[in-house]
Amino acid sequence: MAQPQPIAAPPLDAALIAAWRGGDEQAAGELVRRHARVLARFLAGAGAREADLDDLVQETFIRAFRAVDRFRGQCQFRTWLLTIGGNVLKDHGRRMGREKTVPLDEQLRARDGDPHERAEAGEAEAKLVAGLKQLPRLQREVFLLRAQQGLEYEEIAAALDTTAGAARVHYHHAVKRLKEMMG
Amino acid sequence: MNEKDDATLHDATLHALAGKLGEQAATRLDVEATARAVVERLRSEPAAAGWSWMQPNWLRIAAAAVLFVGGALVFRQVMSGGADAHRPAHFVTDDLRDLSADQLREVLSTLDETLDLGRHTAPEADLENLDAQQLRAVLRSLEG
Repeated sequence: MAQPQPIAAPPLDAALIAAWRGGDEQAAGELVRRHARVLARFLAGAGAREADLDDLVQETFIRAFRAVDRFRGQCQFRTWLLTIGGNVLKDHGRRMGREKTVPLDEQLRARDGDPHERAEAGEAEAKLVAGLKQLPRLQREVFLLRAQQGLEYEEIAAALDTTAGAARVHYHHAVKRLKEMMG
Repeated sequence: MNEKDDATLHDATLHALAGKLGEQAATRLDVEATARAVVERLRSEPAAAGWSWMQPNWLRIAAAAVLFVGGALVFRQVMSGGADAHRPAHFVTDDLRDLSADQLREVLSTLDETLDLGRHTAPEADLENLDAQQLRAVLRSLEG
């Protein structure tokens, strides 16, 4: 009777990054599989159109892999990736020469539940997205990293090269302004 | 939950809403296709992608260097120009005040020979007729 094989723990991001630095393309692919959805959520929350999402996710990973030597583990790879995503989205908006458009009708539409509740939830989220568009970029990103991604202030601060106190201030300003705009 | 009736939206509600942002769009992303596309791009366009990322940084560094050097030159020019503007004019002739008429003629003739100033000065013979004050005036006119 064959002995059950121990299940190998998935490699840590650090191991995959080291493998990519050594030229292992499959490690890069695994990092994409691991973080693409989270990155897509962040980009969509920050105002990316769903039609642009795949291109933006790809571009973010390409930039991250090119610049991976600058990643020294100051924060999680995923958090670092999200901040690069913010830069990619900003460049994309500038290149398109237009305001970032949010596909409210596509990405915010709840697909389950009571139609009345669905409409209310969609309306609240639409207000939130509209409010986020009005925020300065740093406030918006800190809010998303905190409220959408659930990160600690220390982690946010390390990714954005600021202090935890400053991140906390940005978050509270963002919340205050969003409440005013949505109230 | 009805946010329309709630003027003071609670933090928890805001968090819950934020937590759902982009959920549907992210679900529809074809992660496997994205991973393949990224690997393919890494393989096919390594140099171009690297350069396009580096280019803005190098341009910024170059622009900063040009501004620094240009600024330093302008600063130096302004400082030296400003110093000259406030410095009273100084003529070499003033330093020759103690020379006699003969010595002044000798200086003038030397200048005439070495700098080819003949067109500006009187013929050497005419210098003989000038006194010391007139010779100093000639020398001063040569200084501009």
